[in-house]
Amino acid sequence: MNNHQTRNRICYTVFLLIILLVGYFLENLYYIQVLTFIGINTLLALALNMLMGYAGQISLGHAAFYGIGAYGTAILTVHYGFSPWLALPAAILSAMIVAYIVGIPTLKLSGYYLGMGTLGFGMIVNILFREWSSVTGGASGFIGIPALELGPISFASGRNYFFLVWGFVLIGFIACQRIIDSRIGRALRAIHDGENAAAAVGVDTRQLKLQIFVLSAAISALAGFLYAHLVYFISPGSFSFIASIRMVTMVVIGGMASIWGALLGASLLTLLPEWLHAFSEFEMVVYGLILMVVMIFLPRGLTRGLLDIYERTRKKNEH
Amino acid sequence: MSTELPLLKIETVDKAFGGIQALSDITFALNPGSITGLIGPNGAGKTTLFNLISGVFPADKGEIIFNGAGIENIKSHQLVELGIARTFQNVELFESMTVLENILVGQHTRTRCGIWGSILRFPGVIAEEKKAREFALELLDFVGLKGHADKTSGDLPFGWQRLLEIARALASRPKLLLLDEPAAGLNIVETMQLGDLIRKIRNQGITVLLVEHDMSLTMEISDWIVVLDQGKKIAQGSPRTVQADEAVIAAYLGTAGKKE
Amino acid sequence: MQEMLQYLFSGITNGAIYAVIAIGFSMLYNSTDLINFAHGEFVMLGALCMVTFFGTLHLPIVLAILLAIASVAVAGLVFERLAIRSVKNPEPIVLIIITVGASIFLRGIGMILWGKDAHTIASFSSHPPLDIAGAKLLSQSIWIIVILLLTAVGLQLFYKKTLTGKAMEANAISKRAAWIVGIPSKLMIMLAFGLSTAMGGLAGVIIAPITMSSYDMGTMLGLKGFCAAMLGGLGSLWGALIGGFLLGILEAMGVGFVSSGLKDATAFLLLLFILYVKPGGIISSASVKRF
Repeated sequence: MNNHQTRNRICYTVFLLIILLVGYFLENLYYIQVLTFIGINTLLALALNMLMGYAGQISLGHAAFYGIGAYGTAILTVHYGFSPWLALPAAILSAMIVAYIVGIPTLKLSGYYLGMGTLGFGMIVNILFREWSSVTGGASGFIGIPALELGPISFASGRNYFFLVWGFVLIGFIACQRIIDSRIGRALRAIHDGENAAAAVGVDTRQLKLQIFVLSAAISALAGFLYAHLVYFISPGSFSFIASIRMVTMVVIGGMASIWGALLGASLLTLLPEWLHAFSEFEMVVYGLILMVVMIFLPRGLTRGLLDIYERTRKKNEH
Repeated sequence: MSTELPLLKIETVDKAFGGIQALSDITFALNPGSITGLIGPNGAGKTTLFNLISGVFPADKGEIIFNGAGIENIKSHQLVELGIARTFQNVELFESMTVLENILVGQHTRTRCGIWGSILRFPGVIAEEKKAREFALELLDFVGLKGHADKTSGDLPFGWQRLLEIARALASRPKLLLLDEPAAGLNIVETMQLGDLIRKIRNQGITVLLVEHDMSLTMEISDWIVVLDQGKKIAQGSPRTVQADEAVIAAYLGTAGKKE
Repeated sequence: MQEMLQYLFSGITNGAIYAVIAIGFSMLYNSTDLINFAHGEFVMLGALCMVTFFGTLHLPIVLAILLAIASVAVAGLVFERLAIRSVKNPEPIVLIIITVGASIFLRGIGMILWGKDAHTIASFSSHPPLDIAGAKLLSQSIWIIVILLLTAVGLQLFYKKTLTGKAMEANAISKRAAWIVGIPSKLMIMLAFGLSTAMGGLAGVIIAPITMSSYDMGTMLGLKGFCAAMLGGLGSLWGALIGGFLLGILEAMGVGFVSSGLKDATAFLLLLFILYVKPGGIISSASVKRF
């Protein structure tokens, strides 16, 4: 266990160093921007992975919380003149409250019904963004979200925003790692291994799932906040069903129940459109194929799946 | 037996599934610090009774009183908090987790750290974790699995998994331990070791209810035996009295006097 | 009154379509315990195939309908053979992700083949709308309702009277027992997939003349069909019918008397309500696995 902790410490220190080095020395601002998006997506993947990977509960409507974070800060800063730094906790809190209220009945469902329930919830929130145009700007979107500033530091420049986003990613990683290594995390993994046995040792599975659902919503809302102040303009399309599916795809590729997998999944899914020319035409076909192929052949995700295959071929060659 | 207040009292309990009366009018009590064996031929209702006590489903009628309070409407995870721990007939460990982690989860109700505590790692949280680990290692030693703390629990041989499951149940510091056929799947040597362990548990002051097929084990270690047949209690008493009871012999040999 | 009647007609028309989609969900669920999140996409494929066969190629109407349904059923069979049967570990979460993946994949295929534009085709027949107390009932609506009823009766006969139908039902009740008496379970699952996706295709075919068909129409229709199936009790044929009409009418009234923006929200609110409160459906007493 101590080994495990030292190894984690080294990992996170290296991670911090890489962030600092890339942030200071990468010249190309376009790449900085792409990396910033990867950071935001990593937060999303991390949030959903806590729910799907560790608590074993699927959500096909998680973009709703991402959207609540983004629209929350947009509405508060533009309509009510809040400082973004006040809007941040307010937006996160709203997402948490919504998650709590929705979570109580939804998390009683399991399997397909949970999938449909969360899907329906995501759709309703998206319809709300689209139809409540006096507040959200409707289908045409919400313009004029202010840039972030902290005293003399402006986050309008790509580099500072990069540090801000990746700072949150680092904090998010460490926080989630600590949860997983704690009493709560053990109970979560216990639910995953066997819900009956978990209840039999005294784990209140319902309450725990709800807590993780709320936590997951909070991280998603944080990502939404960061997204809104990065692009200054948001529209319902960014938080639609496809956005929820994109989150699921990131988790599935990276591997469920893996913190670093979130980084891998988010990176691949952000970079894929950059690499594949004319990707947008094929975006959905590619996501769909990825989801099916990974789930059929590598249900433990890309990283572990490939490692498994490597192990197997090595063993075969030894014989 | 003694005049002490019983730890668990089952009073006139009925349970039916559809048209089948699984249990009717069952009454008995467990004395604190004793081992009680619950036996009976297949279909006698042992498992149903076990599930009633461990909160899997409620009784149709009657009362189950633990430590002076009714527990009919209490969910299984809350029973652990009250002091009732159980094991499963076919061993349900958290297989992807290590041996030590399994016991740590077992202490879930006896530790307090929440999400914030785990993120911020307050000094109290670290102290609690340290104590939990120490207790877990003690328990491993107690059941005879010392030195295997970091193995993945799913990789252990079956007999050890059973011991680990008992250690996990003990981790919640129960007053009452419910064992559902703990000897199933064990060989003779392992069964003997299990018997010693159950006695050791009793000697710690923990009351044990044992549902078991293995007659020799049950008769050897139990202080008190309750015999069920076809959903009814047909006998109870010390192992010796029960072994001599005619109704019991009839039930097991399936001979005389069963037609009603 | 006249306005009300008009909403009722449109509700019944949509309801009949939801019912056909719901039947597809229920059939598959009965035979395989699976809920196909890509079901709506098969509806989309049916509608767009119809656009091609009837609208573009001007094939005779009956031929176009049959071809469209057959194409969708073939797509469904391919999906079952390549994706579903390959799953080694058929847990719900895995199957959800695979069928969701399939839905996104089919949507993408739909976009590549038919473009992003919406398409329309002519009605099955060119009769003028019926005038009932001032409200207009489109001839296509009558077609839709007639086809729905014929299908329901046909399926009922299939399940109760033919050997194959009985075998499917037996397989649904217990795979093991069915296998012991010699019913090939793999074949039955394939058949269930084929029939279920064919129902999806049929829904697409009949909706094509009264809607703008496009690659992204499926998700919404699929969810509404699922909602209808849940309303009537998942797995029940007549429940699917009742659920479909109920949803269609409620939705139409919602549009008429509350707000048109809320049309789609009605279905989802109903779905959440039914999931939370009475997951066995409003007419059946069957209990659904919850927690």
